[in-house]
Amino acid sequence: MTNGSEKSAAAGALAPAASRARTEFARLISYVVFGLGSVYLSMRAGELPTSRWEPLGAGSFPQLVFAVLAGLCLIAAIRAVIDIRKAGQLVGLAEGLCSWIKVRRISFALFGLLVVYLGVLPVAGFSLATFIFLLITQLMIAGISKKTIIQSVIAALIFSVGLNLLFAEVFNVFLPRGVLFAG
Amino acid sequence: MLDAFLAGAHQVFAFDTLIYMLIGSVAGIVAAAIPGFTVTMAIILTLPLTFTMDPLQGVSVMLSVYVGGYTGGLISAALLGIPGTPSSVATTFDAFPMARGGEPGRALSLGVWASFFGTVISTIILIVAAPPLALIAVKLGPWEYFSLIVFALTIVASLVGNSLMRGLIAGVIGLGLATIGPDPMMGRPRLTFESDILMPGLPFLIVLIGIFAISQLMGEVEDHGKNDNKGALIPDVIEFKTWAVMREVLMHPVNLVRSSLIGVFIGALPGAGGSIANLLAYDQAKRSSKTPEKFGKGNPDGVIASEAGNSATAGGGLIPMIALGIPGSAVDAILMAALMVHGISVGPRLIMDHADLAYGMFVAMIVASLMMLVVCVLSMRLFLRVTDIPKQFIVPTVMICCVIGAFALNNRVSDLYLLGAIGLVGYGLKSLDYPLAPLVLGVILGPIAETNLRRALMSDGDWTVFFTRPISAVLLAAALLSVIFSVRSVLKMRRKDRPATDEQDGD
Repeated sequence: MTNGSEKSAAAGALAPAASRARTEFARLISYVVFGLGSVYLSMRAGELPTSRWEPLGAGSFPQLVFAVLAGLCLIAAIRAVIDIRKAGQLVGLAEGLCSWIKVRRISFALFGLLVVYLGVLPVAGFSLATFIFLLITQLMIAGISKKTIIQSVIAALIFSVGLNLLFAEVFNVFLPRGVLFAG
Repeated sequence: MLDAFLAGAHQVFAFDTLIYMLIGSVAGIVAAAIPGFTVTMAIILTLPLTFTMDPLQGVSVMLSVYVGGYTGGLISAALLGIPGTPSSVATTFDAFPMARGGEPGRALSLGVWASFFGTVISTIILIVAAPPLALIAVKLGPWEYFSLIVFALTIVASLVGNSLMRGLIAGVIGLGLATIGPDPMMGRPRLTFESDILMPGLPFLIVLIGIFAISQLMGEVEDHGKNDNKGALIPDVIEFKTWAVMREVLMHPVNLVRSSLIGVFIGALPGAGGSIANLLAYDQAKRSSKTPEKFGKGNPDGVIASEAGNSATAGGGLIPMIALGIPGSAVDAILMAALMVHGISVGPRLIMDHADLAYGMFVAMIVASLMMLVVCVLSMRLFLRVTDIPKQFIVPTVMICCVIGAFALNNRVSDLYLLGAIGLVGYGLKSLDYPLAPLVLGVILGPIAETNLRRALMSDGDWTVFFTRPISAVLLAAALLSVIFSVRSVLKMRRKDRPATDEQDGD
């Protein structure tokens, strides 16, 4: 019994440390990605021809900025490695990632719908694309019921066709008409 | 002088002018409250409507949109955590936690009153001290400008959330993003990878909407099942306590006046506007506070500093415009354009040749700030209806407004793809606890920093000039002190944390 409670207490103490280690590991990956990206961009900027009219050419400032970024990422990565080692073992990475994605599933679905919407917008036109986007996202967030369907259809109509009319008639800003309605 | 003042006042107080100004004030507040719609966009939309008006009437209407817009940014900053305009970035730091902590009415009232007093203070300074301040601003060369930006960027170090290093990385990523596209001096394409989307560069507004709005909206629907009890983003009952909050704002006179003075000074510098002033004013308020640890957690001083700072730039920006014909910001440039349409050249002779117009603009500033106050106090509840709307309506609809804002900027569909990509990056950075404000500051300041650095070295290739010109040297010394101060506070906090950690280790 005592053994059991000691074990659960130890596991409880380890859990935040493991979580901290996992977070630091995720950040470490970001430092590595930004660091490698900035080294590459710094090299690309260095390839730009120098100017004959001024001491600094078009490439000097980006080269400087990305070199500084690479340096900062290196320092941050070293500190992250130290923190991970301090926090202890790096366990449960796969489960951690799964729960991270699970918590954000609606966010990612919303973003996925936004990407599809932006892709379809030039073809379907603002009113139609926006109506479908709003209808789907509203029902996704609120859940499907008779009440939410009616509310969502009304809101989607107002903010798709209504907004399009407002911007075209009042502000003279013409939103994409799409190939379907272009003629 | 008095004759001109009275002549200007007579025109501004005409009934039709007042009505147009009232409409302008409401339009400015509503436009800036929509994330993605900046004050500049609202003014651009107003410009064609003023062509048929008298010069002073047209400029008065635009000034009321301007003043209203600086306050409107507060609404989405406080209630949604999304700065409606770049000038309300620092407002999110304290107004949003305050609103989330159950005091949304107080957060809004604090912002409205701070904006009002900030505008009034800046207008008084504009009237009294325009010539000497404009003389100081015009003396700044590219060395001083570059040093000022270095100073502004080091301030990022003290503004960042939980990690100095991640804040710095975010700031430098912002500077890096700003280098994509044509270089600001010669127009040579850089880091575009032959892509048509990247060829014009990353428009600042797209980065702002993507980084702040899209990532914030994605964050709003995180952990959806558990957050269902939250329903609307803000509690149902909102108490504004208008007069109590007015007294509260006036009880912070040092913060109010200091932030307004910072706003006036920054506004008077060409190119530097509310987007820098709100961060600088916030930073100074935090530094001089006896309880800096309370900042970022709903401290009223933070809201007052940011809103007084950004609103005071409206008056400050008019100083170089009226005295020298140099616009202090994009909005001032549009105001100048509006006057030029009517055949009035803006410059040092403006006060001599069209004194009634110049003084009328001063009067219009005061009237516009009063109108903003009245509109906000009387109808804030109406603007707040947005917060009664459940999340399933507000999140997708605001997302659509962001898309429209991003599209209307250049009428380019490719900007929308950039918006999506930047939004995802912003969300990733937010999830990993990178502060987003330094990134946006980096994108704003990048081109200004590069242009001035290259200009300075073109006129004199010697780097030591940055340290030998007095104003530049002072600004660089301030930047160095800012870094030292930030590192020292980080070390102090670590030392504080260590004994507890050591005890744990010992156990």
